[in-house]
Amino acid sequence: MFVLHCGSSAMRYLSKSLRHFYQLLISMTSKELRARYKHTFFGFFWLLVNPLLQMSVMAFVFRFFIKEEIIHYPYLLFLGLLIWNFFSLSLSKATPSIVYERALIKKARFPREVIPLSIVLSNFINTGLALGLLFIPVLFLGTLQISSFFYLLVALLLLFLLTSGLSLLTSALNVMFRDINFFVQAFLIVWFYATPIVYPLSFVPNQYQWLWFFNPLTSILQLAQYACLHTPLPNWQTFTSNLAVIVLVATLGILVFKKQATKFDDWL
Amino acid sequence: MSKKDSVISLRGVSKKYLLYHEKPTLVENFLRISKRIKKEQFTALDKIDLDIKRGERLGIIGANGSGKTTLLKIIAGITTPDAGQVEIKARVISLIDLTAGFHPELTGEENIYLNALLLGMSREEVDQKLEAIINFAGLKQFIDTAMFTYSNGMVLRLGFAIAIHAQPEILLLDEGLSIGDEKFRKKANLALIKLFKRKNFTVIIVSHIKEMIQENCKRVLYLKTGKIYQDGGLKIAQKYFK
Repeated sequence: MFVLHCGSSAMRYLSKSLRHFYQLLISMTSKELRARYKHTFFGFFWLLVNPLLQMSVMAFVFRFFIKEEIIHYPYLLFLGLLIWNFFSLSLSKATPSIVYERALIKKARFPREVIPLSIVLSNFINTGLALGLLFIPVLFLGTLQISSFFYLLVALLLLFLLTSGLSLLTSALNVMFRDINFFVQAFLIVWFYATPIVYPLSFVPNQYQWLWFFNPLTSILQLAQYACLHTPLPNWQTFTSNLAVIVLVATLGILVFKKQATKFDDWL
Repeated sequence: MSKKDSVISLRGVSKKYLLYHEKPTLVENFLRISKRIKKEQFTALDKIDLDIKRGERLGIIGANGSGKTTLLKIIAGITTPDAGQVEIKARVISLIDLTAGFHPELTGEENIYLNALLLGMSREEVDQKLEAIINFAGLKQFIDTAMFTYSNGMVLRLGFAIAIHAQPEILLLDEGLSIGDEKFRKKANLALIKLFKRKNFTVIIVSHIKEMIQENCKRVLYLKTGKIYQDGGLKIAQKYFK
């Protein structure tokens, strides 16, 4: 129990601390961004090279296995990989972040959430820029509509919510159980294949489709792909169950983090 | 002393640490092997009641493991007690780890903003004090270069400069604070003394050094195995350090 008085009303204190949280988050995020690109010549360019390489290899290899022609397959792959890379990179960097920043935790009292969230946010900004570049060739495909932006916005919002919630959860738990990091790494490999990135969901036989209800990335991906390339939208069962998982994960992440944060110092 | 005019008030504050001989893992927790891991409890603080008035200068003494640092951490808000109530009514700055929170790739100025925000300052506050911080640290010509080019002493100086410009009303000092070269140490000491002399400025010092306590404190708290053993004037320190 920690009571703070700042000589002002509770509301003013709340708005002041929210403002401070926001300023601190921005500052930490810009630290992440600057630190990453200060010594690379092309900087941001590397962010595109990675999915481009992955896409080229996959588009080449999977052509042998996938018998039906999938229209815009390289675009679908690239979009899927951008989203996946954001998710997996954020999660694997945020999970050990509290442990890495132990000196900070032991130095001062500040909202600990900014440590994992600044990692997610800086990756999010990068991904947004890369998506912007992807739009240039997509414009020529003629698949974009005005409503595209709405669907893309929903997809990105859900993606951010899911990644932030999960990062809060794993980073908090990793302080106490250091093997969480290994679980995350192992799980990400499975998760990649459990997400319709290299294959469309329609390739999955009907009796197994329910399995994808539990993978919230399914709807996020399908929404983004619909927005950019006009592939089918997720059906309502997939969407509602995915949404439920996202809300659940985000809530759990926030609650667990809040509870664990008071004890971080004891475990570091 | 009543609770009303105290700037820090602790009521029945206890803190226990579990001493694991190994860090627990999730796998063990699930497989229930965890019972085999020996757990020992260590009581760092045991039902502490403490009121510190605005403007008081408190020295905390006691043997290693008597709970001094835990008490300081609880007042700084770095950790929370298992039981009891903590009330802090002013901005606390601790001079514990001056160099934490700096990033070597960022410039001095960028680091000032980051570090000051971590200490609880707002952006606007830093805008106002930026000049003063840079001047105090004596880093005018280096402020736009990346921090990895700084010497250790320069980093410490900057850390100290930010901390004392954060307008603390309560300052926490842990022993063994190193602040750089002799010239800057004098400057830092003068700045601290100036702060100490400010009206209503509260200082809490944890130290094993007799002079540090005797010169800077008026009230002494003697901790023994997580309990307040003695609480009173400098006489306690004189006896303790004999």
